[in-house]
Amino acid sequence: MTVQEFYDEVGGDYNDIMSRLRTEDRIRKFAGMFTRDESYNTLVKNINDGDIEEAFRAAHTMKGMCQNMAFTRLYKSSHEITEILRGKDLVEAKKMLEVVTEDYNIVIAGIEKLLK
Amino acid sequence: MVETIEKDTILIADDAELNREMIKFIFEEQYNILEAEDGEQAVKMIAENNDRLCLLFLDLLMPKMSGLDVLRFMNEEDYIDYIPVIMITGEATDETDEKAYEYGASDIIYKPFAPNVVMRRAKNIIELFEHRIYVERKLEKRTRQLRESREKLERSNEFLVNALSSVVEFRSLESGEHIQRVKYFTKIFLKYLMKYYPQYGITKEQAALIVSASALHDIGKIAIPDNILLKPGRLTQEEFEEMKRHTIYGCEILEKFKQEDNEFYHYCYDICRYHHERHDGNGYPDSLKGDEIPIWAQVVSIIDVYDALVSRRVYKSAYAVEEAIRMIMDGECGVFSPEILDCFNLAKAELLLITEEGFSYADVEATITE
Repeated sequence: MTVQEFYDEVGGDYNDIMSRLRTEDRIRKFAGMFTRDESYNTLVKNINDGDIEEAFRAAHTMKGMCQNMAFTRLYKSSHEITEILRGKDLVEAKKMLEVVTEDYNIVIAGIEKLLK
Repeated sequence: MVETIEKDTILIADDAELNREMIKFIFEEQYNILEAEDGEQAVKMIAENNDRLCLLFLDLLMPKMSGLDVLRFMNEEDYIDYIPVIMITGEATDETDEKAYEYGASDIIYKPFAPNVVMRRAKNIIELFEHRIYVERKLEKRTRQLRESREKLERSNEFLVNALSSVVEFRSLESGEHIQRVKYFTKIFLKYLMKYYPQYGITKEQAALIVSASALHDIGKIAIPDNILLKPGRLTQEEFEEMKRHTIYGCEILEKFKQEDNEFYHYCYDICRYHHERHDGNGYPDSLKGDEIPIWAQVVSIIDVYDALVSRRVYKSAYAVEEAIRMIMDGECGVFSPEILDCFNLAKAELLLITEEGFSYADVEATITE
């Protein structure tokens, strides 16, 4: 799988990431780093535990990484959940988490294929 | 001279490894990179490496301590003055941006990072701070040098004025400490004058010059012949007229080296010439009245009288301090202005203290140069 194909599959912006990171090797390296990050798990755990503050921070971190990686689709859903959590609405956040999870799984599955 | 440690290290504080790496790869070829995962680590690393850090990338939202908390810490410890901070944030919100700048952040960058832009901004800021620190160090050094040379000059001046004024004392073979006492009494008197009569507008710097100038009040006596200057008995009318001329002779000496625009010259001149003038116009040499007599000459005038009364001279023995004070207040030694008398009254306890304790030359030097 090429990096271009990977970005198309996960709803990312290939041109943007190339303009910033320059090489596909570097993009692969950062993608690997993304899979190791714990923010998503922290987000899920804290939403289940009802810790809105911590959930907000995890969502915010995730959103920032998605911006840097040009994962546009996951950026959008993580941005939305960040704002919901900023407003301290746990019920809405739980609903939104389903969308985030769906987008996140697509990205993770894509990266696995990319790095195989 | 201690060489400063090279500032070659960038600290990146962000809780996401990926975000740190995104900045790290831009700079790692040219700089040492330190990484902090949260605010607490950042603070610790700043404290430990502050002399090597040339830049800090700081995420706003981090566990344990937020980016703003880290900035607050840097302000408290004054690190903010020499370590530039670039804030990292996901989106522009006026509120946090304003706060970050208010706490001294140099710049804010938004995700996603564009390496070229980040690099250029970072380099600009690093250079700006390097230059500022360099200029400040240079200025500090220059200021220190200037202060040192000024102090040296002041000491030399004091030495010269003391040496010059003691020439007269040396020749008149008496009251070797008169001039040192006049200086010391003048200093005390001026302290009270500045406190209780601020309308004269005498500053600390002026007071120091006046004290120094007071040493030269009798410099003109060098021109008085021995048979008058050293006469043990009462002077004849004619001899007294000649003696009075020491005020004019003093000014003639000073005028040879006239410095029209030098404040110190004018204090010396006025004190030499007018320290025997009296408030009612019955003094000499110019019979000035009231405010026509410069305030510094009035001060030295009353101090000169007081010291003459309480010390022994070839032609008289010393009066008791209380008697001397009474004579001055009653106008037996000529009339002084009500303000000068009032001030003398306020200062007399302190003047009396040192008169009674006796007077040592060493004490005076120590106190006057303090």
